[in-house]
Amino acid sequence: MIRVENLKKRYGEKVALKGISFKVQPGEIFGLLGPNGAGKTTTIKILTGQLLPDEGEAKIKGKDPLKDREKLRPVMGVVPEQTNLYERLTIGQNLEFFCRLYNCNLQNIDEYLRLVDLLDERDTQVKKLSKGMRQRVLLIRALLHRPEVLFLDEPTSGLDPSSADNIHRLLIRLNMEGLTILLTSHNMEEVDKLCHRVAFLDKGSIVVMGSPEELKLKYTNRKMKVLIKNGQELEERILEMDSEESARLLAEWIQQDRLQAIHSCEPTLADIFVMVTGRDIT
Amino acid sequence: MIINKGRIKAILIKESQDIRKNTNVIYMYLLPIVLTILWERFIPGMPEGFALGFGLMFLVVMAGMYVPSMIIAEEKEKKTIEVLLLSPATPAEVFIGKGLLTFILIIITAIILIFISGNQLANLTLILLATALTSIFSIFLGMMVGLLAQNQMATGVIGLPVYLILLLVPQFAMMGVELMKNIGRFLPTYYYFDLLRLIIEGKGLGEMHLHLSVLFGSILITFFVLLVIYNKRGIE
Ligand SMILES: Nc1ncnc2c1ncn2[C@@H]1O[C@H](COP(=O)(O)OP(=O)(O)OP(=O)(O)O)[C@@H](O)[C@H]1O
Ligand SMILES: [Mg+2]
Repeated sequence: MIRVENLKKRYGEKVALKGISFKVQPGEIFGLLGPNGAGKTTTIKILTGQLLPDEGEAKIKGKDPLKDREKLRPVMGVVPEQTNLYERLTIGQNLEFFCRLYNCNLQNIDEYLRLVDLLDERDTQVKKLSKGMRQRVLLIRALLHRPEVLFLDEPTSGLDPSSADNIHRLLIRLNMEGLTILLTSHNMEEVDKLCHRVAFLDKGSIVVMGSPEELKLKYTNRKMKVLIKNGQELEERILEMDSEESARLLAEWIQQDRLQAIHSCEPTLADIFVMVTGRDIT
Repeated sequence: MIINKGRIKAILIKESQDIRKNTNVIYMYLLPIVLTILWERFIPGMPEGFALGFGLMFLVVMAGMYVPSMIIAEEKEKKTIEVLLLSPATPAEVFIGKGLLTFILIIITAIILIFISGNQLANLTLILLATALTSIFSIFLGMMVGLLAQNQMATGVIGLPVYLILLLVPQFAMMGVELMKNIGRFLPTYYYFDLLRLIIEGKGLGEMHLHLSVLFGSILITFFVLLVIYNKRGIE
């Protein structure tokens, strides 16, 4: 669906992308993860034909985002980093404008407003909306023309957990119906929860790529956390996975009926980011 | 160039919903009406049609350029222009759609001015023709200012000298200032103001070839430059 190869972009002296490559399969949710200034927005702008790369290639369905824009615009939806709704207009007027531009059915509007619980606010001016409401309007605006691929630039940044969760559930649902999604984020948990595959972007380069499960297995330290009863107390022990000693201890604790719980110590995506880049994501 | 009427209509509807909540813009249409009434009623001894001429000039330059420049600058500042850039709308559709409302409102206001002034009703068609052509030029030039300026503030700063030159030079030229006449020859508004004079003096279309050609040419040039700028900004 999306193919990016050796993409490079600089703004004057400042290098934003140092040659990144990745692919997104149809039906996939792909996450670009990275701290501020990593180049996430730049990548999305190139993919959506708003920015020209200096080198390399970006293709959507085999087509060039800029040269074939007439063919591509109807199949892609974009949720920008910065809310760009017409503030003086109502939600309904904003969405109607979009529908007319894309020549899609005005009836889609109510259907999507209901989906994000905003039907009652249809006649409210955008300038009176909360951040979470704006974000939902922005999201459904990108969906009205029923695109095949959706780009979201930090769709939940600045939202409270329940608003973010709302958006996550909608994205998962749309994806199940076949929508391909590329999103950027610096929220590790969000990406872990949503994405089939993620790429860590750091200072313009992709440092790690894979599915969250794959990555966690790859970067695991192969240890486990064991809870055992020690008289009346509970004791926590860390054991190596690949050792005879652990096997012996575990067998012993089971026989003595002391074993309470076992967890494998897999790293979070945030841990992996620190391991790979030596820096925290925030 | 293929123009999609549906998308132009989409933009026109949106602009007309937006303008109702935008008092700054509404003032720009009321001002020439108020000014014309003042000149007509309270300044004695004005030559025939003079108040109307000043009112129309003010309308075409100030509403015609200021309003589109502010609309475009605001879209840039709030990033709403990205919606248009990402949409299937072509640059030509965007500019025609956005300019159309300003154009319609200028024509309506011009009719009101002609009725206020009262003695030029016989020349209504010719005056509207001249006003229509000049306002198309103004609108495209205003949009250009909006595209080139960084933000709304800068739009005022860049725009004001341009507007003042286009507005005042033809008027001083008409009052006989020789230097202004020489500068005026390069300004489309000079030809508009002179055209109004010819119309008021009762001249026929036959004597207006030069003026009309200049106005047509200005429209084509500004529209072309506008498309070039928009295309460049769009992928920047
Ligand atoms: N228009 C611009 N002019 C100059 N430099 C820019 C411009 N846009 C981005 N940059 C620089 O390019 C780099 C990548 O920016 P980009 O916006 O792609 O990062 P990001 O990953 O989206 O960051 P954030 O999480 O803050 O949104 C940054 O160092 C930024 O300063
Ligand atoms: Mg960004």
